[in-house]
Amino acid sequence: MEGSKKFFDKITQTEFYQMWFKNAYSYVTGAVLLSILQIATLASTGEPWGVSGVFANWGAWIYEAFGGSVDKWYYFSSQGAQNTLNSGILNDPGSYRNMGIIVGALLATLFASQFKIKKIKNKKQIVAATIGGLLMGYGARLSFGCNIGALYGGIASLSLSGWVFAIFMFVGAVAGSKLLVKYFM
Amino acid sequence: MKEVILDCMGEACPVPLIKCQNKIAELDLGDIMIVQIDHSCAMKNVPEWANKEGYNCELEEVDDGEWEVIIEKTR
Repeated sequence: MEGSKKFFDKITQTEFYQMWFKNAYSYVTGAVLLSILQIATLASTGEPWGVSGVFANWGAWIYEAFGGSVDKWYYFSSQGAQNTLNSGILNDPGSYRNMGIIVGALLATLFASQFKIKKIKNKKQIVAATIGGLLMGYGARLSFGCNIGALYGGIASLSLSGWVFAIFMFVGAVAGSKLLVKYFM
Repeated sequence: MKEVILDCMGEACPVPLIKCQNKIAELDLGDIMIVQIDHSCAMKNVPEWANKEGYNCELEEVDDGEWEVIIEKTR
């Protein structure tokens, strides 16, 4: 075991491993990479990068797997939405993107030897996370996008709605932070 | 010269930073605060804040995904 650790140390302690896999990229590097990949995704799928819409589809598929039906739901009534649902998860490029993000994040943290499963400290965290998650999901569908689809995609598409979203996301973050400190810390 | 340990394991941003800001106000000049964190975002913004405030700051990786930020209140 000691031998294999020394071998891997020879790789992970090199300057380039540290630069590419261990240390965080700068904000500029991150922005450039995200922009290149956003262009690639728009060019190949015809849609800008979006995350929360896919979650709504995942929810619909799970609901249908348990015997439910979303055919009468207004949200899924458009032809495009019906096509996506009927084609299934394996034909949905957005699903591959979201799964890619999850797998990619896992790989990044494993390569940097920073993987850790964090324990839940107290019940307040569960309550805060649940309320926050529900609000985020609900809000993301009301605005037809989250910080990625509505903010990043919206502003990049030169849409005024992206800027409106940005302002109110900022307001929401301030309000949320104050609530967090007051009730959940 | 006291040494205080601030356990922020399992806390998500911005809680570690806020706890640091509150705690350092209680310390005297020369005291050392050791912040235990396991959130990679705090690993960036706590040292950034400490350096901006002018405190001596050191970051140590103690285990996979766990860090200790050692802050000395120098002003």
